[in-house]
Amino acid sequence: MTTKMAINAKDIFRNQHRMIKFIAHSIRLCSNQSLKAAQAAQQQQQQKSSVDFEITASVDTQYTHAPEPIKHDKDLGHQFKASQLSVRLATPQQLQPKPDNDEELGFGRLFTDHMLKIYYHKSLGGWQKPEITPLENLVMHPAAKVLHYAVELFEGMKAYRGVDGKIRIFRPDMNMARMNLAAQRSGLPTFEGKEFVQCLSRLLSIDSEWVPHTDTASLYIRPTLIGIDPTLGVASSDSALLYTILSPVGSYFKTGSTGAVSLLADPAYTRAWPGGVGNRKMGSNYAPTINVQKEAASRGLQQVLWLYGEDHQLTEVGTMNIFMFYVNDQGEQELVTPPLNGLILPGITRDSILNMSRQWGKFKVSEANITMPMVCELLNQGRLLELFGAGTACVVSPVNRINYLGQDLYVPTMEQEKPVHELIRETLTDIQYGRVDHPWSVVID
Amino acid sequence: MSLLLRRNSSQLRLLLASGSKITRLASTDSSDVGEPSSSASAVPPTAAKLSNRQRQTPPAVPDAEIKKSVFISQSNDIFTNLALEDWLYKNFDFGHHHVLLLWANDPCVVIGRHQNPFTEANVSQLVERGITLARRNSGGGAVYHDRGNLNCTFFTPRERYDRKYNLNIVTRALFREWAIKAEINERDDIVIRNKKISGTAAKLGHPNSYHHCTILASANKLHLGESLVKEPANYISRATASVPSPIRNLVDVNPNVNVSQLLSAVGYEYLRTVATALEDGGNAQTMQQRGFQLINPTEKWFPGIEELRSNYSSWDWVIGKTPKFTVEKDLELKGDEQGMRLKLTVEVDAGLMKEIGIKLPHSDETVPVVTPLQGKAYNEQNLNGIMGALKLVSASNVKQAMNGSG
Repeated sequence: MTTKMAINAKDIFRNQHRMIKFIAHSIRLCSNQSLKAAQAAQQQQQQKSSVDFEITASVDTQYTHAPEPIKHDKDLGHQFKASQLSVRLATPQQLQPKPDNDEELGFGRLFTDHMLKIYYHKSLGGWQKPEITPLENLVMHPAAKVLHYAVELFEGMKAYRGVDGKIRIFRPDMNMARMNLAAQRSGLPTFEGKEFVQCLSRLLSIDSEWVPHTDTASLYIRPTLIGIDPTLGVASSDSALLYTILSPVGSYFKTGSTGAVSLLADPAYTRAWPGGVGNRKMGSNYAPTINVQKEAASRGLQQVLWLYGEDHQLTEVGTMNIFMFYVNDQGEQELVTPPLNGLILPGITRDSILNMSRQWGKFKVSEANITMPMVCELLNQGRLLELFGAGTACVVSPVNRINYLGQDLYVPTMEQEKPVHELIRETLTDIQYGRVDHPWSVVID
Repeated sequence: MSLLLRRNSSQLRLLLASGSKITRLASTDSSDVGEPSSSASAVPPTAAKLSNRQRQTPPAVPDAEIKKSVFISQSNDIFTNLALEDWLYKNFDFGHHHVLLLWANDPCVVIGRHQNPFTEANVSQLVERGITLARRNSGGGAVYHDRGNLNCTFFTPRERYDRKYNLNIVTRALFREWAIKAEINERDDIVIRNKKISGTAAKLGHPNSYHHCTILASANKLHLGESLVKEPANYISRATASVPSPIRNLVDVNPNVNVSQLLSAVGYEYLRTVATALEDGGNAQTMQQRGFQLINPTEKWFPGIEELRSNYSSWDWVIGKTPKFTVEKDLELKGDEQGMRLKLTVEVDAGLMKEIGIKLPHSDETVPVVTPLQGKAYNEQNLNGIMGALKLVSASNVKQAMNGSG
């Protein structure tokens, strides 16, 4: 919209949505009151215009529950506190220049100027003081457990610069709970999530200029916990390092693509199994998938659809959870995703989608097993509407083709008129970028 | 929605008006305060419009909540850096976040908002020698920038504007790093033994304000002197004039000074000083701040900056914003036996030659000259074009024209 607006009632009426966005953007620097009024006006407008789904700024506790507080080991020792944080700022000479545009960015190739490091040493009483330092290499003994037995876990989160210029992170408490559960399974020390999020906030405020001032960019946060005990015994690590690095990311998918991905579904490869750690975000789950991804790429396919069992259950797609939107046997529209049966990573995007769609109440939402024969049957009957992956990196990733047992199955995800996955993406990004005030999106700056 | 329009009509009006032109932020409530910068000085700020409009001052933010950053621009292009300064001034929220922006430019001459570039520099020569001419948004005099000159812009909310504080940061940094003793004189210049090493200009708007100053570390004094020599002609202008003032490089005082160390020194001094008072907080204070950040002033990181940059680099801004002035040049006509000293007078408005005439020395009468070059841009080429055409006119023609019309 040009700034030469024709003060013409008809034009204003037609462009009212755009005008509201324009005004809201132009009064960014005004007091909080004005911004809230703009958002309220925007919300009102959205409700008036007959949108099927409403964004409510409340989280219905019937459909979601706060993650269970972690139970620490008895002899864990001392916890770290954000108030003990010490900072060593990078000098001007240590700073890295920022790239000119997204093409050079890729995913996870470039990192910011600072990092957060918190050591754990049982022999020194437990968790040590957290520190923020310039981004630097780690030094460790060659017998460090992480190098031999993959005693490692990590998280993936994003920081968004909202429309009011403030930095927000999305449901960090869920990532903290997930991280602690994985730590327990790997014999690594657990920690207080709240303190860690505060340390993370300080790191983000120092490197905040790595988040562009647009409303489509984000900063990827990678907290990592590794076991550094320098002994070869396969046992709990008495020393560990919890650190976080930040990476500016451009758009996840290369420009020029339609946005939909093609999948390789080969039952010969299994990502996770009952009794294993498919439901924990550990590095050891990912190394074996690299070659399979290469295989898919060589067949001209973009991601791998992970199958399990004799009945070829769909578990995950690439590093994302999978959702299917279809017409069920009762003739109603249903959104389904595999249940958390131990093979599935409990994604935070997954949980948010389930919660949101249950709140909307416009279609049935269920957690149930999906099998490939089921998918084929639904496709034949034309009852399969959409298939998409959900994850932090790209929010939702629609699927349009699956290569299964030598056959190409075409899924009409992109051909829907009002696709559910688009609605989900818009709602989630509205929350993440602060267009809608929501308790899920935590302002840290 | 109408409520929004009414409440924020002034902001909206500005944004509508800005379109492709840079405007001062709400001309009624901004003041361009210009103190002369490095090689032009000692002129009281003209056209300082201070706002009298009462504004509700927000409650003062306690010191502990203010965090400081030092932004270092990755660009050395004067237009890009001016656009970055402008973008931050218009879009950033400095309430809890004070910022010092440090930047250095490739060789250029920067004139103040209300100045006449033709009285400040030889514009055509600048073009020939690859020196960019730019006009900044704050008032004051003309400066020469090159990589040996460090620019500092201190951004704060309006109510926290404190020029003395900012200048003291610089003098303290110079002392702490190199034991150089610099003073701040009553004109708010930083001087070392009576020669200037820095000049200042500022912009007070609402809600933001900035104060920027230059620091001469190792600028090329020869180029500086050559660039700020005006075109040989008689100018009658009411624009802010610069007065040459003796300057000095820091490197003349201490040969160890260089721009990158100066950048570090000023940056750390800024970070270690408490935000609301001129107190040193040492390392403990620095650790609480947000530190140094490199800034890449491109559209990807700062949407809207490209438009600002194209405004700053446009002819309409650099030359077109020149206040109306008249230039007189001696003419040589054919058959000037009677020793008539005739003058060519050109009235230039918005950078375009509006009225062109010939003037007799003993009378106030001006004979208008009709030429297709009227209405064109005032520059050396066009001026020479007029003078060349007039060479074909004889003195008697002019007399006739004058007597005829008189």
